[in-house]
Amino acid sequence: MKRTKTLLLASCGAIALGAAASADTVRIGITQNNVGIDSYQTTYEQAFIAAAEANPNVEVIVLDAGGDVARQISQMQDLIQQQVDAIIVWPTDGQALVPAVRNAYNAGIPVVVTNSNIAEAGLDFIAAFSGPNNIQQGIYSAEMMCDALDGEGQIVQITGMPGYTTAIERQQGFDDRLAELCPGVTQLDIQPGDWNRERAQRTMETFLTRFDDIDGVYAGDDNMGVGALNAAIAAGRAEGMVFIGATNFAVGYDAMERGEYWGSVYQSPVDDARAALQTALDVLAGEDVPLLNYFDTPKITQDNMHEFDRPVF
Amino acid sequence: MAYLTRNALVRWLMQNPIWGFVLIVFIFFSLMTDHFFDLRNFQNILVQTSTIGLIALGMTLVMINGNIDLSVGATLALAAAFAVDVQGWAMFATWGSWQILPAVTLALLVGVVLGGLNGFIVWKTGVDAFIVTLGAMLGIRGLVFVYTGESSFYAMNFAYSDFSALKVGPLPVLALIFLLCTIAVHLLLSRTVHGRNSYAVGGNREAAVNAGIRVGPHMMVNFMIIGFLAALSGVLLSTQMGAATPNLGRDYELWVITAVVLGGTKLTGGKGDIIGTFGGVLAIGMLRNGMNLMQVPAFYVYVILGSILIAVLFLDKHFNRQAEGGLRL
Amino acid sequence: MLLTRLKAGGPAIARQGILVAFLLFMVAFSLMSDRFLSADNFMSVFRQSAIIGVMALGVTIVVIGGNLDLSVGSMLSFATVLVVDLHDKIGPELAIPVMILATLCLGAINGALIGFLRLNSLIVTLGMLSAIQGLVLIYSGGQNVDIVDQQGTWFSIFGRGAIMGIATPIVMFLGLALLFHVIMSSMPFGRKVYAVGGNPTASVFSGISRSRVVFTTYLISALCVSMAAIILGSRVMGSQNNVGQGYELQVLAAVILGGTSLMGGSGSISRTVLGVLMLAFIQNGLILMGQPYYMQWLVTWAIIIIAVWLDVAAKRGRLLSPIA
Repeated sequence: MKRTKTLLLASCGAIALGAAASADTVRIGITQNNVGIDSYQTTYEQAFIAAAEANPNVEVIVLDAGGDVARQISQMQDLIQQQVDAIIVWPTDGQALVPAVRNAYNAGIPVVVTNSNIAEAGLDFIAAFSGPNNIQQGIYSAEMMCDALDGEGQIVQITGMPGYTTAIERQQGFDDRLAELCPGVTQLDIQPGDWNRERAQRTMETFLTRFDDIDGVYAGDDNMGVGALNAAIAAGRAEGMVFIGATNFAVGYDAMERGEYWGSVYQSPVDDARAALQTALDVLAGEDVPLLNYFDTPKITQDNMHEFDRPVF
Repeated sequence: MAYLTRNALVRWLMQNPIWGFVLIVFIFFSLMTDHFFDLRNFQNILVQTSTIGLIALGMTLVMINGNIDLSVGATLALAAAFAVDVQGWAMFATWGSWQILPAVTLALLVGVVLGGLNGFIVWKTGVDAFIVTLGAMLGIRGLVFVYTGESSFYAMNFAYSDFSALKVGPLPVLALIFLLCTIAVHLLLSRTVHGRNSYAVGGNREAAVNAGIRVGPHMMVNFMIIGFLAALSGVLLSTQMGAATPNLGRDYELWVITAVVLGGTKLTGGKGDIIGTFGGVLAIGMLRNGMNLMQVPAFYVYVILGSILIAVLFLDKHFNRQAEGGLRL
Repeated sequence: MLLTRLKAGGPAIARQGILVAFLLFMVAFSLMSDRFLSADNFMSVFRQSAIIGVMALGVTIVVIGGNLDLSVGSMLSFATVLVVDLHDKIGPELAIPVMILATLCLGAINGALIGFLRLNSLIVTLGMLSAIQGLVLIYSGGQNVDIVDQQGTWFSIFGRGAIMGIATPIVMFLGLALLFHVIMSSMPFGRKVYAVGGNPTASVFSGISRSRVVFTTYLISALCVSMAAIILGSRVMGSQNNVGQGYELQVLAAVILGGTSLMGGSGSISRTVLGVLMLAFIQNGLILMGQPYYMQWLVTWAIIIIAVWLDVAAKRGRLLSPIA
């Protein structure tokens, strides 16, 4: 018992010391969506840490929610508890994070949302959003699809994980724009591939059995797009089929180079991470930052691919 | 005298090794990180553990019966979806903030009904609870997707999410609800006939039947209790989010089982208590919170949590040798 | 009525409840979709089910031995990432044996903890599920791994090739199924697994080393996972770190659907194959009918409970359980 008491006292001392040690560097906490689930998120994290280390005045606390909304909310609480100067959040769900962001706002901590935006109700409580425009990416993919098919044809769509904002927004942008731009293209079916290449491959195999005529495939990212391509090649039906994805992965870039893959949307996790950190720093420096900071995610196709570096992920 | 009390404490810790572990974790993080030993952080830990904790209370009852419930994560998601969606129904439009009342009532009812359904199937078919609830885990998640159409619901009314920020004295209201439920289930288990029967049914089914306990309905009641607690947990979680997402609660059944087993409840039934479960829940909550504060990389967190689970199981086995041989489902 | 029929001679038919259900499903799907009953579709479903199927063989043996293995999903991620990553580093002829050895080590850890230390299998493999997922991420640094030269490598034979006109995954699945069927039904080891799972105490008295048998079942499970990883890695020519996430439940569902009892001591490889195929055809059939994918979860819910119920009912000779 006595020992316990001493330890407790010692720990109190440690806390007092810790409080005194904070200097004039800024402390920024980030809670990410699900690092390790794919290379994009992992590369993002590495780029973020590298960018922070390059700046001697920044100290970062890097957390990962593992895709779980509740855990992300806990992490927001933990960051508010540590009284960081700013919080960057990559929402696991745009809707569900609103109250947590509002809590940070009420605690006087500016929040920068990165990569995938928060729901409209939360926009009042954030300092800024920094990231790609996922709806716009869906629109780009629809335009490329329209182009590639000359406005006529039958396509299938493989979406990301059901219920996740990025997946929903890309699908929404694609569906709306496709219907508007070329009504001659019909969507035969839409099934999820869960951001998983093998699952996308299986889904595509079933599509191939089910439909004799598939002219094009839109996949929520290149990882799944390449899975669909694999299935079509195995069935000997890839010839003349148009594959369009989003978030250009290295495998997608290579397939494009071989002429098997039509196009995608180029999105760099390094730009994404740097933009998020910079936005947070600008906010802390008191600069006037626009609410929505979209970084450019251009179309990449077989024609213009050599203007872009091969993705590192 | 002093020696005696110390001895009693050591003996108590030997019987409840999880509380020794909680103590170690507590001291470790207090020393290692700046922000752990702090009233606000303790409040956070209690709120964060309330989700898993509430379900763990019910799981303790079910597991003492010798059953298990894998469907709790999906039940949580469905209840959260009802709680958030129903308050937006047109028929309650004029109710003001009272619209929350029918929504929450319905959500809790959904939990009780689904739990009851599981219990009824276990009772009438005699199929292992593991199988029944594994099926339900898939099926109820399917219901969630049918109901939500794959998208998130959100509450228009900020009063709903403000609820989670309320405090009673130093205690956040979510933590208070969790603590009250903990006490209630503890009393149910240790002071009532139903509690005694729970041990009897799990410990020696035949003797329980001979003693006149109606085993089927008894198990069904415990499934309804865990359904209720899972739904309550879903409602409280949705107040923290002001929303409900279809993927909510995935893998929670695994963490709940982990917490309950860490607390010393046996999967074979007949043994366990709420004090242990509360310790198990706190241990996981503090580990997660402390590792966040210490910035342990996410990849290592998986390895650490997995290893600790196995290590505690090993130590528990070492201290409680009588469990020998009884290690099957 | 049904009750009496079950008592009188019915059991034989009811025991085959899964087979009956399976046939009913096939008929229903064939009526509703003209694509369903085509050779192409059959081959494609068969090929898709091979990965889960191969894993289910190992898990069946573990479950017959009276234990569970929930770590197979993470283990599949581990093995697939390892074999794909090593493919480009040391070549497939070395990558495959190294991966198999590493996966067997994980199986040995499971086996030692559960077989020799007698820890609870559900909790141990739950802990391993989490720990192995962490290991995969630490190994790969969270990056996807890819095989660069997809066309030029002979590694493609496992997932994309064919042996005598039959897709290699199918050959591997059925080959392994046959092998384990023989081992389980007519070799001493198989009898020991049934004995250990059925009545551990009696088996000890008859001189069987329960620890060693259980240990071996986990080695077999790990071996099956490594075979599944070869198929998966070769089929996809790349891997994500969480590729096997959730597979443990699908595998377990297939094993249960096949009628293997979680109490241990009963079940068979052939019925697991049936369970695997049934799950695969349900998924396939519902998608062919244009149903949203989550319908398959609802259907699986009903099927699992009904199939196991019929099975249990046939064994005890009455439909409703004797629980008061």
